[in-house]
Amino acid sequence: MSTETAPRSLAEALRARDDASLSALLRSRPDLITPVPTDLTQLATRAGTRASVVRALERLDRFALQTAEALAMASDPATYDELLGLMAGDDADPAVTAAFPRALGTLREQALVWGPDDRLRLVRTARELLAPSAQHPSATGLGPTVAEATAGMSPGRIQEIVAAAGLPTTHDSVSAVAALGGLFTDRTRMAALLDDAPVESLDVLSRLVWGPPYGQVTAEPARHLRWLIDRGLLLPTAPGTVVLPREVALHLRAGHAHRATEPVAPPIEHAPARTHRPQVVDSAAAGQAYTALATIEELLKDWHEGGPAVLRAGGLSVRDLKRTAVALDVAEPVAAFWVELAYAAGLLASDGEADERYAATPAYDEWLELPAAERWVRLASAWLAATRTAGLVGGRDAKDRTLSALGPGLDRSAAPEVRLRVLTFLATLPEGASPAEDSVLARLHWERPLRGPQDATDDLRSRLARWALSEAELLGISGRGALSSQGRALLGFPSASDRDAGSVGPGDKLPVHKRHHPLPEGPHSPAEQAAAAARAARLLAPLLPEPLDHVLLQADLTAVAPGPLERPLADTLGVLADVESKGGATVYRFTPGSVRRALDAGRSASDLHAFLAAHSRTPVPQPLAYLIDDVARRHGHLRIGAASAYVRCDDDALLNEILVDKRSAGLRLRRLAPTVLAAQADPATLLEGLRSMGFAPAAESAEGDVLITRAHAHRTPPRSAPEPVPDGPPVPDATLLGAAIRAVRAGDLASTTPRKPAPATDRPGNGDLPRTSSAETLATMQAAVLTGESLWIGYVNAEGSASQRVIAPIRVEGGFVTAYDHTADEVRTYPLHRVTGVSELADDQP
Amino acid sequence: MNGPLIVQSDKTLLLEVDHELADACRRAIAPFAELERAPEHIHTYRVTPLGLWNARAAGHDAEQVVDALVEFSRYPVPHALLVDIAETMDRYGRLTLSKHPAHGLVLTTTDRPVLEEVLRSKRIAPLVGARIDRDTVAVHPSERGQIKQTLLKLGWPAEDLAGYVDGEAHPIELAEDGWALRPYQKQAVENFWHGGSGVVVLPCGAGKTLVGAGSMAQAKATTLILVTNTVSARQWKHELVKRTSLTEDEVGEYSGTRKEIRPVTIATYQVLTTKRKGVYPHLELFDSRDWGLIVYDEVHLLPAPVFKFTADLQARRRLGLTATLVREDGRESDVFSLIGPKRFDAPWKEIEAQGYIAPADCVEVRVNLTDSERLAYATAETEEKYRYCATTETKRKVTEAIVRRFAGQQILVIGQYIDQLDELGEHLNAPVIKGETSNAQREKLFDAFREGEISVLVVSKVANFSIDLPEATVAIQVSGTFGSRQEEAQRLGRVLRPKADGHQAHFYSVVARDTIDQDFAAHRQRFLAEQGYAYRIVDADELLAGNAGKGDNADDTDSADS
Repeated sequence: MSTETAPRSLAEALRARDDASLSALLRSRPDLITPVPTDLTQLATRAGTRASVVRALERLDRFALQTAEALAMASDPATYDELLGLMAGDDADPAVTAAFPRALGTLREQALVWGPDDRLRLVRTARELLAPSAQHPSATGLGPTVAEATAGMSPGRIQEIVAAAGLPTTHDSVSAVAALGGLFTDRTRMAALLDDAPVESLDVLSRLVWGPPYGQVTAEPARHLRWLIDRGLLLPTAPGTVVLPREVALHLRAGHAHRATEPVAPPIEHAPARTHRPQVVDSAAAGQAYTALATIEELLKDWHEGGPAVLRAGGLSVRDLKRTAVALDVAEPVAAFWVELAYAAGLLASDGEADERYAATPAYDEWLELPAAERWVRLASAWLAATRTAGLVGGRDAKDRTLSALGPGLDRSAAPEVRLRVLTFLATLPEGASPAEDSVLARLHWERPLRGPQDATDDLRSRLARWALSEAELLGISGRGALSSQGRALLGFPSASDRDAGSVGPGDKLPVHKRHHPLPEGPHSPAEQAAAAARAARLLAPLLPEPLDHVLLQADLTAVAPGPLERPLADTLGVLADVESKGGATVYRFTPGSVRRALDAGRSASDLHAFLAAHSRTPVPQPLAYLIDDVARRHGHLRIGAASAYVRCDDDALLNEILVDKRSAGLRLRRLAPTVLAAQADPATLLEGLRSMGFAPAAESAEGDVLITRAHAHRTPPRSAPEPVPDGPPVPDATLLGAAIRAVRAGDLASTTPRKPAPATDRPGNGDLPRTSSAETLATMQAAVLTGESLWIGYVNAEGSASQRVIAPIRVEGGFVTAYDHTADEVRTYPLHRVTGVSELADDQP
Repeated sequence: MNGPLIVQSDKTLLLEVDHELADACRRAIAPFAELERAPEHIHTYRVTPLGLWNARAAGHDAEQVVDALVEFSRYPVPHALLVDIAETMDRYGRLTLSKHPAHGLVLTTTDRPVLEEVLRSKRIAPLVGARIDRDTVAVHPSERGQIKQTLLKLGWPAEDLAGYVDGEAHPIELAEDGWALRPYQKQAVENFWHGGSGVVVLPCGAGKTLVGAGSMAQAKATTLILVTNTVSARQWKHELVKRTSLTEDEVGEYSGTRKEIRPVTIATYQVLTTKRKGVYPHLELFDSRDWGLIVYDEVHLLPAPVFKFTADLQARRRLGLTATLVREDGRESDVFSLIGPKRFDAPWKEIEAQGYIAPADCVEVRVNLTDSERLAYATAETEEKYRYCATTETKRKVTEAIVRRFAGQQILVIGQYIDQLDELGEHLNAPVIKGETSNAQREKLFDAFREGEISVLVVSKVANFSIDLPEATVAIQVSGTFGSRQEEAQRLGRVLRPKADGHQAHFYSVVARDTIDQDFAAHRQRFLAEQGYAYRIVDADELLAGNAGKGDNADDTDSADS
């Protein structure tokens, strides 16, 4: 970009850029290529659209944004030195000077600034967004320039000011303004001018200098204000309002466009006391990773046989979440996190049945088959990419509806990006160091200052960051607050030992410049991600406890698994005993109930003995063996089944005869006792069947009496006698009569009243609905409200049937007309869109 | 990463006993974790706020606790748990009770919001006086116990630094002629004295009385001893006269029959809690002397009114003695705030291993009821069910069979229902001790039993506590107070006193199968099973069949079989 070929437009500037720089632009502003523009002119146009510029500005870090803001305050085009002066101030702050080229580079790369160094131009849309206006004061707090502020001023007044400021009068306003501007920008002459100022005047200036630059003055300003106004140090903008011109403010600010220029990102702080050995971090994280796997399994096991119902609006009810939290023995927000995590990882979904419930997906069964480390990688990767944020659960949305877990409204598109940023911060710390949360939030805010309010720490990004930190801990991506090596691998960062270890020692502040960042940025390709995931799984696998194949049985009827169990063992033990305590180990308790459960599941007592003997490291304690035998002894002692009829007979031989008879096969008889047969057929069929076989059975009542089969007279349930039907209708009473007459008269009025002919349309025939345009309807209604006249309207009700009504409108608002309805004799409200038309009643109304 | 300890997310700690580091680990976690279960392989400890505050009171800090967990843990300790421990321990000592030279007893804080929070509580308001400055508020001296109790309930336990009054001095020495305090007893006395007030937990038969005597010898001051009943009072007196420099005249008994107030006075809970016309007439006992030490025997049985009196005695040193801190009424926290934190405990098995208590063989005998008994049981009213199944004829016959089996040894038959005991006494031809038996008669019988003149004694629940019958080797329990765990522990304690000949003790529980008796027995036994005293379960038929060779009548067996 040399001066001789200076581009005349953004499009030309873009045309001059090489491919690498264009791809950098498109990578940082991907909205520019959706859809792909046809040429660079179109690209430039698109880059100048308001939406795109706003998006780009929101993604600037604090210093780049400040530079852009300063450029918006500078002359257009501005020179490199002018802009640097605004940023670094008169004293040329070395930190700012050092960071400035990078910020300008960023702005150029993003096509927010173009032109060579001596003609820097901010894209016009950006300038409009950042330049001060009455509604949007500039973030710099600077007011308009002298030239802008004096634009509407009378030449005479300008000459007065010039004179008062001690400058020679000129023959035209333009040169006068230029002279005044020249005085204000000349530090020495300005200082001399202000030396004479009254103390109160300086006080006023110091109040306006950092903005907002506007002040109120009375019609008769005090002497010290007069002094300022006379010399143009305050310029009137509207009656009663004055502004501090930009040049004056900059003089008072010693050239700084910003009160606090923040050239460097705030460091992520970490106290040495919060630094743990990397091994401790890794194992703590691995422990937590294991807990995460166990918790997800437990959750879905809990929902194994029909999970909680899906709310009509979607999501999990508060009660179900509470129950889940109790079942998992965690706080509700944490339970919400696990539920959302399982959902994000595709392990859990609604079953889509009529009676909709949540249940594990087939993917869950596949997931269970994976090795533990890979299971964790699946969860962690799902979490990294998820836009659903569990932290919102329990809060309220814009419409004040509660946000439920698994429900709608939990997606926050910024979540994955914030997560990645926060974890990247962690990755820049020395191994084992955990950051101070405040500094993470401050850094995040520096990187995206336009997202979220200036000072609040409760904005969405800060909350997302806090959730990211705590969720990373829950998932075991970090341990003791520091990034674990498996987490580092998962994110695709080189392991700490690969990095230049000399640059950071414990307690050091982190290097802040982006170009010093040793970490890759931007999304990885799927292949890279898969490789990172595999590496993370490899690192994690040895840290996870090995599944055990034995438990310790104790005489107090407990079994302790001193670590995770192999799945078949855990499954069987889970049936045979109740889990009493969970964690690294599992404590099971055998109770008569739990042993019975195992027997119900089809195990025999000897199976159970063999199972315990095989998996216990110690001899099976006598009370436990006794318990199993004792429960088994009673198990199934009582048998329960369903039969729909029975045959009983004191003669065993007769029953034998029935059983062996082939014809009885259809009755599905089964012998329960020597004298009792149970049948699957109902008593009537059984009777018929046995009779057809030549037996003479008798039916028995519930009490065991023989039922007499004499024919019963058929009876209805109790019924009342019919009401007599008189010859004609009953004589109406007075009220009814009055109402009827009123209704008749009103209907008459509606149908017979002569109407004014509808302009330019066919006169509606008798019974036709009046038809007018909606605008006309509205106007007529409104007129009728004012005059108090009655109108004849056609109206179509919600069922689609049309009617005619005579109404006296009282009020027309919000698409409704409220009117006294003569036909119904009451005040009613009609939606205007259902009124087909309106017509005034004829004047010669009776 | 191969430690003996597994930290569970529900704050229980599992300690693998056979691990080489198990001992070191036990020592490290004992100060703050309560031993909950001590079966053969894995001991379970629980970390509770009370336990953590106990540790703080004993001078441990959160860092030591966390270090102990992290050092011995096999798996990474959940970070949340460590944070929780630190936070819980941090709550102790934010408030302190101390003596102010001008204002008397004051509650001070190092954390003003905490003081503000507790002062806002309705329950604290009546207990405090004027606000002295922003961090200090006066406390009525009479409410010292009450305020500690309430603050604990609010979750801000106060550290009591107000100190103790020395009380009226009285020379007491241990007369260690031919015997000495056992090491653990010495340790218990030392821990107690160092801590000021508190509870010593020792198994039955491990010599709690001597810990009391040792503490008195440390205090060298007038002492009030509160015990459960008169017999136990006499035994205390006997022991004190024998083991210390105290003479017969220096020890008084304050009970239903005698009202002596001496430098060392032994009073029963019963007499203290006797109410006449709505007042406790014997409360004056507490004020009758300037006591330097108050000893509570069997703290787990402390009746509710005594807690109330104790609340007013916070300026005196208090020693609680018990075999278990388990209270069926769940008032463990009152024991903590009013008597004091646990100062010493030792698991039963450990003391047994040192040979100070006899090893015991616990057997549950399952009795099959006869058909007619089962029918009667099934039709019994709900409230009568336990009584019925606990007192069945079949059980009596089995009990008799067991007694015959151990003929020649000293046998105690313990039960709940007087009718049943009378009947048993008749069949076994043995004397019965029950509530109505006079104290003189009781002592006579106990003496006869100790001397071996009587070999079988049938006792009701009056003998649950503090009766020293060292020669009893077999105890047979036929019925009990429903599912009371501490009663079971007490009864087992009857046979755990070390035997002269190193004999093994036997503890039999006769239980009717498939009845509520069996459920209660399971509940009762859980405590002992968790103490490592595992029950064997034996069918009555097998037991009797084993006996058949000894010439038992087979009729019983047949009728019990169904």
